[in-house]
Amino acid sequence: MRFSLNFVKELIKIDLPAKELVELLTMAGIEVEHYDKAGEDFLFDIEITSNRYDWLSIVGIAREISACLGKKLGIKYPEVIKSPLIKDKLIKIEQPADCPFYVARRIQAVKVSESPLYLKERVVNCRINSINNVVDITNYCMLKWGNPLHAFDEDKIEGDIYIRRAKANEKFVGIDEKERILNKENLVIADDKKVIALAGVMGAKNTEVTESTKNILLEAAIFSPLVIRHSRRAAGIDTDSSYRFERQVFADYLEYASAEAAELIGKLAAGRLTGYCQAGKKPEYKDKKILLEFDKLNEYLGAQFPKANTKNILINLGFNVKESGKNKLTLLAPKHRFDITENVDVYEEISRIYGYDKIQQQIPAIAHEVVKNEIYEFKKELRRFLCVLGLNEIITYSIEADEELKKLGYDNPIKLVNPLRAQENSLRPELSSGLVKAVSYNLNRNRANLHFFEIANVYSHQTGSFCEMPRLSIGICDEEKDLFYLKGIIEEILKFLNINDFEFKEKSNSLCANALEIFVNKKYAGFLGKLDEKIKNEADLKKDLFLSELDIMSFCKAQKIKCYLPISPYPAVFRDISIALNKSKHFSDVEKIIKEKKEYISDYRIVDTYKGKDLEQGFCAFSLRIFYQSSQRTLTSQEVDEVHNNIRVLLGSQEGIKLR
Amino acid sequence: MEIEVKKIQEEFEKDLSAAQDASGIEALRIKYLGRRAEINQLFSMVPSLSKEAKAIWGKNLNILKNDITRALEEKLKGLGAKEEKIDLTYPAARLTKGSRHILSAVSEEICSVFEKLGFTVVEGTEIEDEWHNFSALNIPLDHPSRDAFDTFYLDIPEPKEKHLGKFLLRSHTSPSQARIMSVSKPPIAVISPGRVYRPDAVDASHSFMFHQVEGFAIDENINFAQLKGVLLNFARLFFSPDVNLRLRPHFFPFTEPSAEVDISCFICKGEKDKCSLCKGKGWLEILGCGMIHPKVLENCGIDSKKYKGFAFGMGVERPAMLKYGINDIRLFYENDIKFLEQF
Repeated sequence: MRFSLNFVKELIKIDLPAKELVELLTMAGIEVEHYDKAGEDFLFDIEITSNRYDWLSIVGIAREISACLGKKLGIKYPEVIKSPLIKDKLIKIEQPADCPFYVARRIQAVKVSESPLYLKERVVNCRINSINNVVDITNYCMLKWGNPLHAFDEDKIEGDIYIRRAKANEKFVGIDEKERILNKENLVIADDKKVIALAGVMGAKNTEVTESTKNILLEAAIFSPLVIRHSRRAAGIDTDSSYRFERQVFADYLEYASAEAAELIGKLAAGRLTGYCQAGKKPEYKDKKILLEFDKLNEYLGAQFPKANTKNILINLGFNVKESGKNKLTLLAPKHRFDITENVDVYEEISRIYGYDKIQQQIPAIAHEVVKNEIYEFKKELRRFLCVLGLNEIITYSIEADEELKKLGYDNPIKLVNPLRAQENSLRPELSSGLVKAVSYNLNRNRANLHFFEIANVYSHQTGSFCEMPRLSIGICDEEKDLFYLKGIIEEILKFLNINDFEFKEKSNSLCANALEIFVNKKYAGFLGKLDEKIKNEADLKKDLFLSELDIMSFCKAQKIKCYLPISPYPAVFRDISIALNKSKHFSDVEKIIKEKKEYISDYRIVDTYKGKDLEQGFCAFSLRIFYQSSQRTLTSQEVDEVHNNIRVLLGSQEGIKLR
Repeated sequence: MEIEVKKIQEEFEKDLSAAQDASGIEALRIKYLGRRAEINQLFSMVPSLSKEAKAIWGKNLNILKNDITRALEEKLKGLGAKEEKIDLTYPAARLTKGSRHILSAVSEEICSVFEKLGFTVVEGTEIEDEWHNFSALNIPLDHPSRDAFDTFYLDIPEPKEKHLGKFLLRSHTSPSQARIMSVSKPPIAVISPGRVYRPDAVDASHSFMFHQVEGFAIDENINFAQLKGVLLNFARLFFSPDVNLRLRPHFFPFTEPSAEVDISCFICKGEKDKCSLCKGKGWLEILGCGMIHPKVLENCGIDSKKYKGFAFGMGVERPAMLKYGINDIRLFYENDIKFLEQF
């Protein structure tokens, strides 16, 4: 909201330079976002929190400044004249819950013209257009008291006045000249024939006050905040009026606003107040009695509040204060402060005016049971380990387009009911989509050697409910690396977590024809593979991507504390075998034979692969180096040769395996 | 015999210092320890000596032989192979190294500061219900105070417990408070990081997904002054040891009193004027906080007459941007390797 300092100065004397006032207001809870000099005036743009409807008025701002300066604001209230009663017009409220109280004042023989300069300046400096003297006066009084008013051209009202819900498809043309189709969510002011205002939001064009207007009906009312909120949303408008009604208005000030407007119209537009009528019942506000105990206040805030000072703060804010024995005050909250209902509200009032900065900081001694958050710690450790393996962590959006997910073979994701755009309308059931996007972004900028990982949650429907689980995705896009590099990363992770019971099984999925499923403790725990050419092309990836998704809950549960394995003091020796393997056989067939022959074998690895012309078709060749070692003694070469030859014989006897 | 030994010693020392290279040393080895060496001749004379002299000279000759052997070995080591000069101005090798995402690193760092102060990390879920995201936190479902919490709703069937309302993507990490309070007994001190979502169009300072960290403590003697102390400690550990805090009164439905917290600008140190970071204000807003509203405690089954609590919540992106001078929130989610590698 914007307010004019000169307007505030109508109610209170302020000697403070604008800059100091900014500080004063900000530290009391009215954050000044910006301020500017405008001629002789200063304009303040302030942020008003949703609990303080009373700051949406010059009176409220003045009271606050006054309290900050240690003074009580003295307000001159206008005389509220409620006679003579209007008898020729009825005001009918359809549902009291929508509009508990409605007041109308008839002012006749007005001369509508341009506003005097000072009035114009007041409204314009508060960001409201100057229209004419009558409209400007209603706005001036709204700004001052916080209660919106509306002036109708009474000669254009046909019959009585009704406060009712709009009929389906009822038309409304506002003073902004836009036509809106209403429905029963909208509350309207109507006469016998037509809608004359969208209640609490905007007046209609058909009864607008113009230069030719002679007689006025001045409306002041209380509308249900919720009804106004729904009505203005349905109509798609937000006005200074609806903003205030939505945050509640105070009935006493409603009367002052209406009375002062009538008085000013008399003064500045030559009108005569000739009638008054009301409908509904002026709300009565119950006294809110609060017992303030200094001991509790001091304990809650961790400070010693001086009693006299505290009492003054409360009085200046409009509280009724009575001593109630030693260290206690009985308070009546100001009637206009709907937000104050209990002790903590009073604590805030006292502390913010006293100054949060005057409360000295302390350090709490927190004594509670410390529990290790297993999955958080696990993710943290995993993140660090993956960095050690040279991977860069990425963070991608959890919200994706269902179209994109479909391309990756994922149907039926959880959908957003109110997405911003179609590009972000679903919760992803996997991390690959984000990974592919991140890789694509980098490839398009000619970045090479991408080794990425992400740890994030995935989400899916589950009969009648949902599932949210943490996952790890890994992506390798590097011309010097292959799928076995990725397999190596996963084996390193398993080794790091000391998981021994794991297995890789060949199985394609929707992303990769060449894929391995990973089983931990015999349970599925993820996959790794090479992204299929088709998906790669659709995603416009210029290079091969090797990717993996792992269910880290399984990994977390399966991890074991490491146990030191004694290192053999005796040397290891190795022997090589050159093997040609037919495509009908897998390396795992070779591996199985070696693993069965456990004796003395400490390790094995491929040291060379061969792709020469002399190789028989359908075969691939490699050299396998097997290491032999004992933890008991140095092995003799005869012992090693014996075991090794045994393996050779076993391998050589297999169909599809040739020793070279 | 004594004269001969001394002569050998002197001559050897002279020869040794004159020796320049390995071949010189080898020549000396042959001269002094070889078959025809003078020492060997002396050894051959020992058996003809008297019993006492035999013992003395046998020992002395052995010492001499060992000394010479050692001296030659040491000289040889010292000579070594001659080092060739390398041009060390060639560029360093390019290493590949991994990196944590800066948002992960900052989030972990924020949590670890509070862990040092006695807090425990507990993560909440991102899919939440209306009760935990709003009602429990004293945010009415249909009220202007909810405007600040626009929320994505999800097409998951509503839970059987009607009061929980519809499912949504949490718009802040505060539902963690309600979750934890409902299942734990004070004293509680928890820090809860995670992703949150709001329907904001993406630009340099907005994102529909971002990160927050929520913290709160509940016990019999918790007060506002302690909240100030905890946050000051955090700001000094995280940003800079010389920053100061400013608490501005504010409104949050779930705390009372509430405050927004600014830190003094650690770039211009409050020298104001034309600071690019604080725009001359001298202060940078970093978080919101307050004493947990008694209604929130009661909603979650904690006796507000006995217990009090404080709570605070902060974004992760903003402190990261402030601390590392990152000027566009989109950089976090583009995952450009040139960006990732910097941290």
